[in-house]
Amino acid sequence: MKPLKAADVEHALQHSRGARVNEDVAAKFRVGDRVLTRNINPIGHTRLPRYARARHGTIACDYGVFIFPDTHAVGEGMKPQHLYSVRFTAQELWGADASARDSVYLDLWDDYLDPA
Amino acid sequence: MSDHHHDHDAPLPDTVLRVKALESLLTEKGLVDPAALDVLIDTYETRVGPRNGAKVVARAWVDDAYKKRLLEDATAAIAEFGFQGRQSEHMVVLENTAKVHNMVVCTLCSCYPWAVLGLPPVWYKSSPYRARAVIDPRGVLEEFGVALDEEVEIRVWDSTAEIRYLVLPQRPGGTEGMDEEALADLVTRDSMIGVGLAGSPGGV
Repeated sequence: MKPLKAADVEHALQHSRGARVNEDVAAKFRVGDRVLTRNINPIGHTRLPRYARARHGTIACDYGVFIFPDTHAVGEGMKPQHLYSVRFTAQELWGADASARDSVYLDLWDDYLDPA
Repeated sequence: MSDHHHDHDAPLPDTVLRVKALESLLTEKGLVDPAALDVLIDTYETRVGPRNGAKVVARAWVDDAYKKRLLEDATAAIAEFGFQGRQSEHMVVLENTAKVHNMVVCTLCSCYPWAVLGLPPVWYKSSPYRARAVIDPRGVLEEFGVALDEEVEIRVWDSTAEIRYLVLPQRPGGTEGMDEEALADLVTRDSMIGVGLAGSPGGV
């Protein structure tokens, strides 16, 4: 790996590629769908936090097709798939004592979700 | 979090030591060019920071067409200012209203929209903020001096992917005659993370 040169820093910062992938991958869910997150406990990298595993949520937004970090982080390919904003009520995550009004939104990939 | 005597924006001493050790190792091995490091540090110390985001917010307050573009495609609307790139490739702007208050956290690490806010403050990366923002947002907001009405719905956004969130705070009252530049001075970093409100004219 060649070290970044001072003269190239600005270009490198301004023109990073991002994680969206231009690939036609079918979405498993649509906005408004109810989903159940998987109860996965991998030893390696995942972006599904423990507090949101095996929880019911609702698809709030489809952000399009993105690199799947769980495989990409360990050199097992990009496995492009849809990334969604998923809404969980505070009570679903934290129980009946939590606010009935509040919610937490997480950005989650198709591979974390099952229909509910 | 304001009652402590130490500075929450300063890194911990052992972190500083570890970074110094890493830096000398990487430089000795030829993996890092110290001159490039200087440019990187200068970029985020003097050129890219929350004043960028404040300009975006102030424009949205005075220009409805811009606000519409910002809420529809934040990445493109923010790039109109030339703010773009690393850790801001996929931007989403969340509008705070009288009924909905948005706040942003990264429970997994420290994801933050660099191009508009610069590098994250130390408290944003700290375990207590990351753990408590999702389970007790009202308690965290209180510690930041924000008391929201019970009726206000709080939405916490956990940045688990590569989407980066910027909060569009509510425009303070009494600012009707102010121009964009003066309005931008009211926009604090914390208000764009959602743990603060925009300042009042003549206020702190």
